[in-house]
Amino acid sequence: MLNSIRPKGRVIFGYLVIPVVLFIFTVFVPLVAALFYSFFDWKVGPNKIFNGFDNYVKLINDRTFWASFEHNIFLVLFCIIGQVGIAFILVMIISSKLVKLKGIHRTFGFFPSTISAVCIGFIWTMIYDQRRGILNFILLHMGKINSMKDGPIWLNDPSKVMTLVSIPLVWQYIGYYMVILLSAVASIDTEVLESAELDGASGFDRARYIVLPLIKNTLIVCVTLCVAGNMKAFDNIYVMTAGGPGYSSMVMALYGYKTSFETGYLGYGSCISVAIFVLSLIVIGGSQALLRSAMTDKYDKIEAKLQKKRDKEMREAAKAKYGKGGLR
Amino acid sequence: MVKEKDTLETLAVKNESTGQKVANGILGFFMNVLMLVFSLSCIFPLVWMFYSSLKKKREFNADIIGLPKVPTLDNYIRIMINPDYRIGYSMWNSTRTTILSVLLIIICAFIVGYILARCSFKLNRPLYIMFLMGMLIPVHSLMVPIYIIFSNAHLLNKWYTLLLPYLCFNLPVSLFLVEGYVKGIPTALEEAAAIDGCSFSKSMFSIILPICRPILITVAIINVFGCWNEFSFALILNSQAYQTVPLALKNFTGQFTSDYPKMMAAMLITMAPVVVFYFAFSKQIIKGMVAGAVKG
Repeated sequence: MLNSIRPKGRVIFGYLVIPVVLFIFTVFVPLVAALFYSFFDWKVGPNKIFNGFDNYVKLINDRTFWASFEHNIFLVLFCIIGQVGIAFILVMIISSKLVKLKGIHRTFGFFPSTISAVCIGFIWTMIYDQRRGILNFILLHMGKINSMKDGPIWLNDPSKVMTLVSIPLVWQYIGYYMVILLSAVASIDTEVLESAELDGASGFDRARYIVLPLIKNTLIVCVTLCVAGNMKAFDNIYVMTAGGPGYSSMVMALYGYKTSFETGYLGYGSCISVAIFVLSLIVIGGSQALLRSAMTDKYDKIEAKLQKKRDKEMREAAKAKYGKGGLR
Repeated sequence: MVKEKDTLETLAVKNESTGQKVANGILGFFMNVLMLVFSLSCIFPLVWMFYSSLKKKREFNADIIGLPKVPTLDNYIRIMINPDYRIGYSMWNSTRTTILSVLLIIICAFIVGYILARCSFKLNRPLYIMFLMGMLIPVHSLMVPIYIIFSNAHLLNKWYTLLLPYLCFNLPVSLFLVEGYVKGIPTALEEAAAIDGCSFSKSMFSIILPICRPILITVAIINVFGCWNEFSFALILNSQAYQTVPLALKNFTGQFTSDYPKMMAAMLITMAPVVVFYFAFSKQIIKGMVAGAVKG
């Protein structure tokens, strides 16, 4: 904080008023509006009828909504394992001395995450295509199918469609998480790893007992990003299947979009928005808490205790030195 | 220290028998192959799309993976010429929206971040917490209500419509990056300037702003990709007149689902700025994105 020069309140107000007003207008006003409109029976048009908690009752009994919530959860789990898990394995491989061309792997691997989800969706629609898709082309050349026409129409299979729309997401972001984790691994002192190697720790041991605990915080960040990112999955599913066939690849954001803009039930759509808001926060918060408790071991607890003790000692020393006011 | 390390290394070399060397060689080979497969799979779609877009539709349908026998720019020309596809127009919309949004984000993030980091006033904490909350809000829950609010305020279908959500959704992360950076700059700089009679605004813009350049570049990088690629809010807030690139692409598919080479050409045109930008500055971009992800 600057204490010697204090700008006048007027000046600060002048600088902050525009960004803050815009921010409140586009983020918090809609949030309150969603809550407000969720109590109305409102189909596009001027007529709004207040109907209390009817929308919420309907939501609780809405199978499609809960199915799409399940799909979001599936996506989250699939992508945590797929994106962060595979990224971690790749990081362990790439940080080995035996691997060459590290820069190229990093540049190429990161590339898909800079492309729009719409493009990714189209690319994979082409790959899954029945008659002109690469997937069936490979199957054809492996002799699994006789001609492209006999190949499965991949995205029409309700039991597989969720997995198939998750694969592009995994593919797109492996490199992204790989690079983030790589930056964390790079900050580990190489002597630690080398001495472990000399002591005979295998690659797996090194990954599990040295690297994993040391990059814990970054790992938590990655998983949080992954959870938050997949709770709002929308773009590529919209492009690939639009939630179909039926509702078998519907996700929450897409369901909210369809209810509001394709069938026009803005009141119920607002109610879904409120539900998305609450459920996402619960899932993100829950996963954070879970992760932190899973990742803290007894050493962390001892460390935290020591830190507390050190802080207390420092405070007391400061008090003794500077009098009652302490350090400010 | 150096000597100790040397002895350790010589020890390691001595311990390595020929058997181990061979095992290491095989392991290294497999690891290299695995990484290469991964890297190539990431870049393959781009390459595949590029050479396939030079084929005619019939040639592509006959052989989806082969190289074009007679490369032709036909697909590109047709897409650029036909006004119905609105490709040039949507590129222009995207460029304008992206540049203006990123500029606004940088300006606002710098001012707000700087003031939150340096000035003590009553609302400092509440504002900080407000922006923090803004970061936690899942933006897709705002899709429906933001449409309602914007349509009531007559803000839909304007050239500036998308600037608002892009600015506000990206502001929190950006301003916290700036705030963290400013906190690392010693206050002595501004104090010395103040003693010399420099006003608050002047010291903010002519002393701190140049120092903050690296972090502002990071902010710009993160947001260029975010704004260029954004889809869902562009979908609901704008009609065809102001559609951005991802929407133009979406409209394409309806028109020629069966003509893949043409679609690939269209996708490549819209991806081109991003791809060129990425491969030209990949090192800084990767660094910036990582910084943004970890701190945000």
